[in-house]
Amino acid sequence: MAFAPLDPVLHNQLRLAVVSLLIGVESAEFNFILEKTGATRGNLSVQLTNLKDAGYIAVKKSFRDNYPLTTCKLTAKGLKAFETYVEAIKGYLKT
Amino acid sequence: MNTELTPSESLKLIESMIGQAKKSFSRISFYFLLWGVLLTAAMIVTYLTGESGPSWVNGMAWGVAGALGGILSAVHGARQSKTEEVANPMDSIIGWVWISFVITMMIVILCSVFVHRDPGAMITLLTGIPTFMTGQVMRFRPLVIGGVLFWAAGIVMHLTADPLALTALYCGAMVLGYIIPGIMLKRQEDGLRTP
Repeated sequence: MAFAPLDPVLHNQLRLAVVSLLIGVESAEFNFILEKTGATRGNLSVQLTNLKDAGYIAVKKSFRDNYPLTTCKLTAKGLKAFETYVEAIKGYLKT
Repeated sequence: MNTELTPSESLKLIESMIGQAKKSFSRISFYFLLWGVLLTAAMIVTYLTGESGPSWVNGMAWGVAGALGGILSAVHGARQSKTEEVANPMDSIIGWVWISFVITMMIVILCSVFVHRDPGAMITLLTGIPTFMTGQVMRFRPLVIGGVLFWAAGIVMHLTADPLALTALYCGAMVLGYIIPGIMLKRQEDGLRTP
C-alpha cells in the first residue's frame, strides 16, 4: 500500500504546532504563539517566515503603543494543506 | 522544536494545540461582576423605595444602572480589544448571544411598559439563556449552574407578587448566577486556579 507523502512544510514540530494553533482562532499575535508553543523567539520567527513563504499563513506587521506587533492568520491554502496533512497522517495510523 | 515527527506524535501535537486555542477566551469576568453588582443594587433600591418613594425613582435606579453598566462595559471592551493577543471565534459567538439577549430584553421592557406589567420575572428567565450558553461554550460550570438558577428564579418570580420575595429571588439569582461565578472566573483568568 502506498502512503500519501507528508507535506514537508507541515511535517515539522514547530510549524505544525503554529498551524494547529491558528486552526482554532481567527488570528493570533506573535507573543501568544510564542507562549503556547514554548519556542524561542528566533526559531519562531524563522518558522513563521517559512510558513508565510509557503503561503500557509498571512503575517501582518503593525505597531501597538510604539512597539512592533506581528499578527498571524491561517490562509485558505494553509487550511487546505492542513486538512490534506491530517488525512495523510490518518492513513499512516490506520496501517 | 524542529524535530521530525512520527504520525502519532503529529496527531497528539495537533490535538494539544487545538485544545490550547479553544481555551483562549477573552477575559469576561469584569462584565459579570459589574452587571451583577449594578443590577443587584438597582433591585435593592427599587425595593426600598417601592412602597414610599415616587415611581420615577424606581425607573431611575434601573436607568442609572443600565447607563453606567453600558458606558463602563463599552470603555472596558474598547481597551481590552486593543490588548487582546488572540481572536477566538467562540468570543464572537458569546458576544452575539449577549447582544441578542440585550435586544430581546429591551423589547420585553418596552412591551411591559405598554401593558403596565413588571418585566422582572421575564427578564430573569431570559437571563438564564446567555449565562447558560456562555458557561457551556467556555466549559465553565459555575456559569452553567448560574444559568439554571436564573431559570429557576424566573419561574418562581412568575408565581409570586410579594415585593420582598421578588427582590430576594432576583438578588439571589444575581449573586449566585453573576457575582460568584464572576469572582471564580476572575480567579481563573488571573491564573490563581486552573479549571
